[in-house]
Amino acid sequence: MLERWKLRARALLRARSLEAELDEELRYHLDAETARLVVRGMSPHQAALEARRAFGNPTQLKEEIRDSWGRRWLERLGQDARYAWRSFRRAPAFAITVVSTIALALGLNTMAFTIFDAYVLRPLAVRDPSSLFQISWSDRAGNPHAFTWREYQALRADRSALSESFAFRLLYTRIDSAPAFGQLVTGNYFSMLGLAAALGRTLVSSDASEAGSAPVVVLSHDAWTSRFGSDSSIVGKTIHIRGQSLQVVGVLAPGFAGLGDVPLDFWVPLTMNDLLFAGDSLFGDRAPESISVVGRLRPEVGPGRAAAWLESWLRVRHADAREPDRPARARLISRATGIELSPQFALFFAPIATAFILVLLIACANVANMMLARGLARQPEIGIRLSLGAARSRVLAQLLTEAVLLAVPAALAGFALSRFTIGAGVRLMFATIPAELASYLRIVPLAPDGRVFLFMLVASVASALVFGLAPALQATRPDIVRATRGDFDGGYRPSRLRNGLVIGQVTVCVLLLICAGILLRGVGRLQRVDVGMRTHGVLRLDVNERAGARDHALAVLRTQPDVRALAAASSPPFGGRYPVVVGTSSRQDARPLFYNFVSSAYFDLLGMPLIRGRRFTPDEERGGAPVVIVSESTARTFWPDRDPIGQQLRLAPESAGTRLATRRDARVVGVVPDVALGTIIDPFDAAVAYYPGGPDHAGMALLARVTGEPEATMRHLDATLAQLAPAAVEDMHTLDVYMLGAVYPFRAAYWVAGALGAIALLLTVTGVYGVLSYVVAQRRKELGIRVALGAATSAIVALVLRQSLRLCAIGLAAGMLLALGVARLFAANIVRLGTFEPAAFAGGALLVLVSCVAAAYVPSRRAGRADPMEALRSQQ
Amino acid sequence: MPKTPSKIDLLQGTLDLIVLKLLRGGAANGWQLTQSIQAISRGVLDVNYGSLYPALRRLEARGWVAAHWAPSENNRRARYYELTAAGRKQLEAERASWERFSHALGLILQAD
Repeated sequence: MLERWKLRARALLRARSLEAELDEELRYHLDAETARLVVRGMSPHQAALEARRAFGNPTQLKEEIRDSWGRRWLERLGQDARYAWRSFRRAPAFAITVVSTIALALGLNTMAFTIFDAYVLRPLAVRDPSSLFQISWSDRAGNPHAFTWREYQALRADRSALSESFAFRLLYTRIDSAPAFGQLVTGNYFSMLGLAAALGRTLVSSDASEAGSAPVVVLSHDAWTSRFGSDSSIVGKTIHIRGQSLQVVGVLAPGFAGLGDVPLDFWVPLTMNDLLFAGDSLFGDRAPESISVVGRLRPEVGPGRAAAWLESWLRVRHADAREPDRPARARLISRATGIELSPQFALFFAPIATAFILVLLIACANVANMMLARGLARQPEIGIRLSLGAARSRVLAQLLTEAVLLAVPAALAGFALSRFTIGAGVRLMFATIPAELASYLRIVPLAPDGRVFLFMLVASVASALVFGLAPALQATRPDIVRATRGDFDGGYRPSRLRNGLVIGQVTVCVLLLICAGILLRGVGRLQRVDVGMRTHGVLRLDVNERAGARDHALAVLRTQPDVRALAAASSPPFGGRYPVVVGTSSRQDARPLFYNFVSSAYFDLLGMPLIRGRRFTPDEERGGAPVVIVSESTARTFWPDRDPIGQQLRLAPESAGTRLATRRDARVVGVVPDVALGTIIDPFDAAVAYYPGGPDHAGMALLARVTGEPEATMRHLDATLAQLAPAAVEDMHTLDVYMLGAVYPFRAAYWVAGALGAIALLLTVTGVYGVLSYVVAQRRKELGIRVALGAATSAIVALVLRQSLRLCAIGLAAGMLLALGVARLFAANIVRLGTFEPAAFAGGALLVLVSCVAAAYVPSRRAGRADPMEALRSQQ
Repeated sequence: MPKTPSKIDLLQGTLDLIVLKLLRGGAANGWQLTQSIQAISRGVLDVNYGSLYPALRRLEARGWVAAHWAPSENNRRARYYELTAAGRKQLEAERASWERFSHALGLILQAD
């Protein structure tokens, strides 16, 4: 095998010398044979003739030998390419339409793949990324757990599964009042990942050897350029994070901004933990489980074995834990790429990928139809070539060469288009996201790499095969040979393939448009939804828990005249899904129960009237008394037949988290209306319990109802707080911004679906138009005869329209059925999206129907104008 | 299109086997091989000499024979072919299958 390719390569490279060798060899044979015959008594002339006769035809033999060198295919390819080029020159409109259609679809797919690649496929720029795994575990009650400092120390010492490991803790804060994401890391972080500094140095193990010993920070390259103006003298300067002065010791080289999908701004030694985070010391006896661990798997240990090892390791360490807190499952998440390609992620990504691929398929169907029409128009030519003895495979190869030649410029244009749409898409995202959220938006670099080019290559060749092969097979069907008998247009044959392609296009187009419609309706509903709370004019403040920061901030806020009311909540509105526990009424029916800690003023501040009972008293709020206020739905489901006030709300033992430990049995003191919980997509009527918690308790977000224009007041308050309680505020936004942020993903999804639907519609309209134009041209003679026999123009128009409408109707029906299935899928995952949206279905179907009729109308008008004389004249 | 085994295909196959067998005796150039075929088959096989060369190139492409230029007895350069290890194996395989085939054919032709 290898030999043959070596020979072929040599044949290509040394064509001339191979020819010369062959000539010499054959000449030698003839001369030797002649000499032999002369020796046996022939005259030299006679001998030469005889040798030649016995040899056969040398030209033919040489041809046969050259074939074995495998150079023929190249010559043929050249021939085919030249031929295809000539035929494109004759029909430039055709070539341009094909190239731009495929380029559009390839560009969109390349764009999507580039993003997918950047997050999911591209290995992080660290040493041996594929062996890096983040480890975590969950207990028997299903609660996720991180690790304590001591556990990490023990893990690090045990090298049976992980050859090395580092620990980290995320830190979301503000640097110069702009949001910043960073990590506290152990001293081996940078050396283990093999990362170098562009300026100064990275963190080393001596930075993280003793608690609080090294107030230093390393910046990411991006943070250095965007926040510090690429200041080349940054090393040695001091920046402030949570009120701590940290010395910049280095700037990381570009290309790495953390493991995970959100680029980071800075890294601080983990030993600084106690100065940056409140609560129990990370290194003391009551250390919290607050650090995450990433380890390098030993090459001989697979993830499955490592998880088993970790489970048994954890079981030993937690042997004396209470039953529900015992470790149940260990989990290893690959940190080789930004996002691990887990089954869950694949499930999330599959519908998006499907939508993009469908658009590419529509484009291919479109082009296949054009090629089919062209192939039939070229039947005489192909028929003659076949009957002159061209092998079918030869003609097929030539038609496929044409398809590939069209796909190459389409791939180039598509690549340019993908670069443009990525740039424009990122700009659009930053332009449309609420300005305050834009500074949270982090996007990994979306540069193309080898995988993107490979994808383009595969996608363009695959589409060339899809749009080129079927028409080529059809055009070279053996019975085409009839064509040589002059039987070029002996009757119109409705092509099932062509009709199938149009139906498929309409189906996909309807499906995409209906999905876009459902999402649009969902966005509209989300924006109009009555959340049951007056959130406008409310600010949310997150303060850090360092010594006194919360009290300072509260003291300042209480004296501000533009703060009308102040409340607190552990899970403020639109801040994310509430935590959940299992609750029971006295009658032992256990149900999932969302919970929140709120201050007494919470309900008034958000305009939630008390339906029954009372609010928390100041004492209850301060002391965390075992009392609870429940929502209307909770009252109804837990105590359907009695007054909820005074009833006991009991928590199942396994759901006792640390904060809930003292409230296992709480007495219901009040009932409030059902309102939106932490998200706006979850149903409002879920069971929820509000436990008392004061604004001065750690971990409570503050809510302030302010006077005046909220944004302006917020800026003013932020400035005042920065002065009077420096570095106390970690984050500050209006609740409106949180709500916009919650709606934004749906809006973005609607835009993507809408754009894909619009492109699909455009492609379908041109597809329908193209096919009908072709059909009308094919039936010109027949239509002319009909006119000659007295058919009215309107009858002819109706005849053609009917044909297109039939295809359209089948496609519509199929598309709507599919959309119904997809809509159920949507509804199963996202409650706020309706299962059946009549408006979306009717709108999508109507749009496609009208477009199809419009696309069909022009060709059918042309059919109505068929000239009987011309038709009859063209009859031979 | 149904593919029918043509006469040329059969002839090519046999010619390849003959060439491999002859080269087992040692390296030879194309002309020498034609002489050997004539001599050993006592002129029964009327081989078109020219068709030997495509066969040689084919065997070379498959890696069964190797070729080099060397001076011949009349002091001119000639292209010599010799059997490779793969060629030797191929010859054994083809000879075995040929023997099976001819044995079977013999049985059929003798049966009455």
